[in-house]
Amino acid sequence: MEAKYRIDFDEGNVLESVTYTLVSEYDLKPNILRADITGDGSGFMLLSVIGDCDDVILGMNYLREIGFKVKELKGHISHDYERCWSCGACVSVCPTRSIYHEEETMLVKVNTKKCIACGSCLNACSVKAIQLEL
Amino acid sequence: MAKTYEEINNRIKTGEAVVMTAEEVVDLVREKGAERAAEEVDVVTTGTFGAMCSSGAFLNLGHADPPIRMTNIRLNGVEAYGGLAAVDTYIGATSLIDPPGTGYGGAHVIEDLIAGKKVHLVATGPGTDCYVRKSIETNISLDDINEAYLYNPRNCYQNYGIATNTSDRTLYTYMGKLLPRMKNATYSSAGTLSPLLNDPHLDTIGMGTRIFLAGGEGYVSWQGTQFKTTVEEVNGVPVGGSRTLAVIGDMKQMDPKFVRGLDITGYGISLAIGIGIPIPILNADIMRNCAISDEDIYAEMVDYSLPSGRKCMQRYNYAQLRTGKIEYEGKTIRTSSMSSLAGARKVANTLKDWIEHGEFLLNEPCLSLPKEGKLKGLKDGGQ
Repeated sequence: MEAKYRIDFDEGNVLESVTYTLVSEYDLKPNILRADITGDGSGFMLLSVIGDCDDVILGMNYLREIGFKVKELKGHISHDYERCWSCGACVSVCPTRSIYHEEETMLVKVNTKKCIACGSCLNACSVKAIQLEL
Repeated sequence: MAKTYEEINNRIKTGEAVVMTAEEVVDLVREKGAERAAEEVDVVTTGTFGAMCSSGAFLNLGHADPPIRMTNIRLNGVEAYGGLAAVDTYIGATSLIDPPGTGYGGAHVIEDLIAGKKVHLVATGPGTDCYVRKSIETNISLDDINEAYLYNPRNCYQNYGIATNTSDRTLYTYMGKLLPRMKNATYSSAGTLSPLLNDPHLDTIGMGTRIFLAGGEGYVSWQGTQFKTTVEEVNGVPVGGSRTLAVIGDMKQMDPKFVRGLDITGYGISLAIGIGIPIPILNADIMRNCAISDEDIYAEMVDYSLPSGRKCMQRYNYAQLRTGKIEYEGKTIRTSSMSSLAGARKVANTLKDWIEHGEFLLNEPCLSLPKEGKLKGLKDGGQ
């Protein structure tokens, strides 16, 4: 399975090697999509992990045990279909092609699973039809 | 074989008219040829739904008691023109809210009015012997005011350029967000469905042509501003921005589905509207023009990182652009549109439906638009 997580850390666990542990102990394939840290040592990272379903659950539970806040991202990108007029201005700025024109109708659609939450589409949209909630 | 407007309108009234969209006729003409297709088809409907910045609305707000001659007018905080008679105004689509920066402007006021929403009016005037009042603050809606009509000086651009960006920084333009080093390119035309690409020399579209304007009936009122006929043609259609239309229509008939106030990052406010133009198939030549398709229509890619003197880098047709990627000097560039093809189809299909049901008759133009037009630049005064 593949899943995306927001992992919040602070001064207490900022030095933990998260990805190393997930790879070596849980046989997961993590991919850091985004990471940010503030001056007080707190911050968050967006992590995509690929692996066996049980391993993913165990790995994330381990992170929780050592003090990380772990939240799975499911509907992190929302698309207001009523407001969207399917112009397509967001389509070519999406690096993962998560935003696309449905072939038959040419309506703009969003594939949440493929979205890596980079946010490039947000200011490409002229009617604020896309929102990112992390 | 030739048909007249009268014959076509009679067939529309009796429900016999054969109406097809500009997408649907492409295959028909390929199969049967223009002569046979022209005998079968009475009207071809076209459509476009894109950003049309040169748009705006004339409003007559009605007289208060005692009356005011408004010289300074704000609608939801957006400046409207105060240089007409007492309570007449014009609100341009790109007019900004004061102070700017909220992503709201004239186009949004127009959209809100068409959607039936209340709009806050604040107006002041000098106070004269005939108009003693000096200020007024109230809410208006489309139902409350007298006339309200869109008068758009330049819509329906006949083709447009493709925008890319060779620089190292992201550009925010009216052609959308252009990523650095040519990661993407944007274009803006309904291609196969585009009104003026289906009647490239305006044989049928002229002053008085009845059109679909944002869900209501409208008319072509004049040639659009920056109307030019000097652009090179490939397959009978220009490869860049060429002819344009000025259009007019009653806002009270319009449907918010076909209207969007836009906030284009880095550029400003614009208005997207749906426009559809019916083309009467009077003869085989007109039919042949309507058979144009995305593969035949070319546009020129230019570099928006250059402040001026943007030369054509390469030409692409709309079939290539719509695949979502093009190649340039060995590099793949992602492409997407700034105008809505889904919306253009909805416009063309709605207009088709109206005509098939006898609800929309064709109007023969009372004046042809210019056969020639050149663009003048603006001289810098050097001051």
